[in-house]
Amino acid sequence: MAILEIKNLQAHFHTRKGIVKAVNGISYSLEPGQTLGIVGESGSGKSVSQLSYLRLLPSPPLRIPQGQVLYRGQDLLTLPEDKLRAIRGHKISMIFQEPMTSLNPYLTIGSQLIEPLMIHLGQSKKVAWKEACDALTRVGIGEADKAMKSYPHEFSGGMRQRVMIAMALTTRPEVLIADEPTTALDVTVQAQILELLKKLQKETGMAILLITHDLGVIAGMADKVVVMYAGRVFEEGPVETLFEKSAHPYTKALLKSTPRMDQLQEQIPVIGGTIPDLSQLSSGCPFYDRCSYKKDICQETFPLERKLSSSHHTFCHVEEL
Amino acid sequence: MAHMNLLKVENLKVHYPIRTGFINLGEKKFLKAVDGVSFELNSGEVLGLVGESGCGKSSLGKALLRLQEPTSGSIHLSGNDFMGIKGEALRKIRPQIQMIFQDPYASLNPRMTIEATLREPLEAHGLCDSSEGNKLVQQVLDRVGISPKALQKYPHEFSGGQRQRIAIARALVLKPKIIVADEPVSSLDVSVQAQVLNLLKEIQREFKLSMIFISHNLSVVKYIADRIAVMYLGKIVETADRTDIFKNPQHPYTQALISAVPIPDPKIEKMRKRIELKGELPSAVTPPTGCTFHTRCPIAKESCKKDSPQLENFGTSNWQVSCFEVKSRPSP
Repeated sequence: MAILEIKNLQAHFHTRKGIVKAVNGISYSLEPGQTLGIVGESGSGKSVSQLSYLRLLPSPPLRIPQGQVLYRGQDLLTLPEDKLRAIRGHKISMIFQEPMTSLNPYLTIGSQLIEPLMIHLGQSKKVAWKEACDALTRVGIGEADKAMKSYPHEFSGGMRQRVMIAMALTTRPEVLIADEPTTALDVTVQAQILELLKKLQKETGMAILLITHDLGVIAGMADKVVVMYAGRVFEEGPVETLFEKSAHPYTKALLKSTPRMDQLQEQIPVIGGTIPDLSQLSSGCPFYDRCSYKKDICQETFPLERKLSSSHHTFCHVEEL
Repeated sequence: MAHMNLLKVENLKVHYPIRTGFINLGEKKFLKAVDGVSFELNSGEVLGLVGESGCGKSSLGKALLRLQEPTSGSIHLSGNDFMGIKGEALRKIRPQIQMIFQDPYASLNPRMTIEATLREPLEAHGLCDSSEGNKLVQQVLDRVGISPKALQKYPHEFSGGQRQRIAIARALVLKPKIIVADEPVSSLDVSVQAQVLNLLKEIQREFKLSMIFISHNLSVVKYIADRIAVMYLGKIVETADRTDIFKNPQHPYTQALISAVPIPDPKIEKMRKRIELKGELPSAVTPPTGCTFHTRCPIAKESCKKDSPQLENFGTSNWQVSCFEVKSRPSP
């Protein structure tokens, strides 16, 4: 059974300039032990969709007109705040893109690490301290005792991201939401962090929801992939299927327009135009203007889900690409 | 004079003085951002400068334009000394070498219209009689794919990709021979990144420009550059043609760097072996003795801690590696 299931979720921002439909009816699910990759460019709604149901965005302006987010069968959207708080940061943890800004510069690493343990697991300071030290060792930080007494600025970006991972994992979460966890890091450090995430997943059996714009990272990490664009899911499928037999024009174009180190490319095919204004979306497909396969119907209605196999489906009117 | 390089850089150093403590007593310390870099750039060639944060690639880029005054070394532009000149002589040469920056949100003045932005370099260099200037500004804007209606608009009215096109137009308006592009597509989304990359490539060919393309993204550099130089801690550790360096990297750092780049293909990605580097990038204030890479090198020997290797030819004249363990390839 899925551990996290998102059903027809919408997240809209009510601003002075109108309603910005950041997430516009998306559905997917996450199985235990699985890594689900969510790919999309800026403004596709990949981060907002997570932050919205975890109530990490101010509301207003955020409103969730409809949808369900089921964690072990209970709907996180209707849960009272205290119940949600018992899950968020405990059973569902998050690591963010910028390890520079997501740690508190005024507090030692130690005091930030023991906080979730004391709050969620009710541990004493002494026990929590020891657990936190173990967690730091697990993520590859030597001299954990010394590190616990240090401040974030004393660490490099890669080390801070290790601290974030340690913090997210101390409570033994079932779901880890990693939002662009390596985007701010150098490639050699990125390789270390991704390797670490894989290793920890094997040890703990947690599910990872990996949000990234980097198709290379997705290829190496994900079991299943969801492609998002302008607040919609365009395609979902197992990672190999999606890269080899992508059934959506956007996925295809995205793959082609990515420069590849293992090939000698003379010209990269581009996707013309830019993403649409999310406050002025039509009822049709938001990719219409940029799509090279478009038909008349695409302008009028957003397509229904079309199944290509039991695990692969797409949202596109065009069947032959 | 026989063959002459468009740009020749010798033993260039950029050292930033740093403050130590409350009162500066004792020895002055320096952060050695660029520490003895030499290379040549031919006319029409694109050199990709790669390396991770803190390797000195951006400092080198700025030093080439003398936006950051180099500490020592020499730069020759078309055979003329570019380092020793100042005042009017320097201003006369400056149009030949122009720069494009990473963040088009920060590099365009928000209070200037696009027209003012594009005319400013022409006026500053006294190249602009007004009707000719108008024509030139419109030409470059058209070339980068921005409609002439944009002239009276302000930067905030454009997307990131469009702004970067405008920044490219600004660099082109002086008809430079060399463009230094520092991470020009790093802040853009994949689909927009491809548009701007293709534009840069077309323009480079059309105007037979030379370009120094600085980036941390090896996939992007492979697409655009003819030759690649890899930097580590202020030094070039390997340089070669793009096909050679990706197929057969020689320096252990280049090998590790290339092995770490993810490839968007799950089948290939699952088969790959990564070379993991130990530890962290050492401080550029007190770089390691000998070969600066020895602290993280998987094949370092005792002697690497004492002696510093130099860039030496490896087979072809275009291929140079700075490592004791790389034996020069026997000529075929």
